[in-house]
Amino acid sequence: MNRNQRRVVITGIGVVSALGNTPDTLFANLLAGKSAVRMMADWPHPALAAPLAELPEAADIPRSMRRTMGNVALYCAAAGKAAAQHAGITEFPDGRTLCAAGSTMGSSLVFEETFNTLLLGKGMADVSPMNFFKCASHTAAYNMANVLGIDAMTYSPAAACASGLQAVGLAATLIAAGEADVAVSGGSEELSHMVSESFVLMDAHASVLAGEAVQEQPRPFDSARRGLVCGEGAAVFVLEEYEHAKGRGADILAEISGYATNRGRENVTQSDSGSVIKCFELLRGKCDIPPLEQGFINAHATGTLQGDRSEAEAVRRFFGGNIPVSSLKGNIGHTLGAAGSIELAVSVEMLRRNIILPTANLCSPAAECSGIDHVSAAREKKCSFFIKNSFAFGGINAVMMCRKI
Amino acid sequence: MTREEIIEIVNAAFAELEIPEEELTPEAQFFTDLGLDSLDMVDVVISLQRKFGVQLRGNEEIKKVRCLNDLYDFFVKIDAEKNK
Repeated sequence: MNRNQRRVVITGIGVVSALGNTPDTLFANLLAGKSAVRMMADWPHPALAAPLAELPEAADIPRSMRRTMGNVALYCAAAGKAAAQHAGITEFPDGRTLCAAGSTMGSSLVFEETFNTLLLGKGMADVSPMNFFKCASHTAAYNMANVLGIDAMTYSPAAACASGLQAVGLAATLIAAGEADVAVSGGSEELSHMVSESFVLMDAHASVLAGEAVQEQPRPFDSARRGLVCGEGAAVFVLEEYEHAKGRGADILAEISGYATNRGRENVTQSDSGSVIKCFELLRGKCDIPPLEQGFINAHATGTLQGDRSEAEAVRRFFGGNIPVSSLKGNIGHTLGAAGSIELAVSVEMLRRNIILPTANLCSPAAECSGIDHVSAAREKKCSFFIKNSFAFGGINAVMMCRKI
Repeated sequence: MTREEIIEIVNAAFAELEIPEEELTPEAQFFTDLGLDSLDMVDVVISLQRKFGVQLRGNEEIKKVRCLNDLYDFFVKIDAEKNK
């Protein structure tokens, strides 16, 4: 996607989310201001989370494939199938289709189950060998590739909460470079008490106070924000080289015109604003960013004190206050490895519909998050492009620009 | 435990692999008739360990079973030894 490379477009989107399993349903529920956050009362330590309302349909996936799939792989495969259907592709080009899908980790529920077996004093002899396949870091990628019949390059970027955007960015980069013509790519994550509780231990998880509704959390960019809420789901995209898509008469949803990733060295738990600005500079070096009034930024903002402040500072210093900014995590929580891809999917919908969705629960922007154009109510605006931010533990930054064509 | 009870327990472990009940005949070979592979068999053995309350890791005899009838015989023998 450098200026002299092949163009890459999005021609299919599949979504599995807490607010719907199609891009249309998800967008409609977000526009209606719905929240998926609830109290997980049956967890050992009850906490807020945004679980799926219903598991995706898997009956048509044969048992020989399902046996190696935890939820993280199942969500990804279901989203991949939906994306292929959306793109109108029943058979992927042999040897020219790549798969790239990421998640924070393998099936966290199966990790939990395995740990519990061992902690109860039972040995590895009581652990199913399938658990290894469900817990492997690339379980989302290879299981989705299996289900879709893809036998070429298969990658699984594991960069925690930037995994989903890194996977799409990697796939787009490889198509642009001529390594493949088509890609199926995205991110996935499953919800578990173990992972959610890890954020509680880090003092980065939102809680609900007496008198508050659970849907009032999380609160990205808000002065009363107290932390994130974990969610789950997946989003997968069919990417194609532009001429390939045109040649088969595909409906082009958006063009990926730029992607950049780097890392900051200051802190392992959040990206520092300086490194995020460098990432924006990398993006600008790869593509022309149109006039800011024509676009919007879909923020990573999770609702943590430090993370939101760093992102707001970077956006303010690099872009100023002339581009609308919003986060979707007030509605669907932080879907970790799926976040970059689910939010990218919604951003494409926003671009196509010329509606910028607001940051739910943003009532009083924090002083340290000010100086940017916060979207606190749905805004109709003719847009030509957007920038999607994703940041992750380890100081990982990833930003992508998409535009209408 | 009667042989019929053992057959019921063993067949239940194979039902977990979504194998239709009518295919669970005594002479059904695991790999050729039931379409299973070695990973499935490890899963079945773990399930049977739990159901029969025995540890089978390192058991050389269970590695020799090839069909359901072999498995029924194996657990009839295991049950008899437990009751000695």
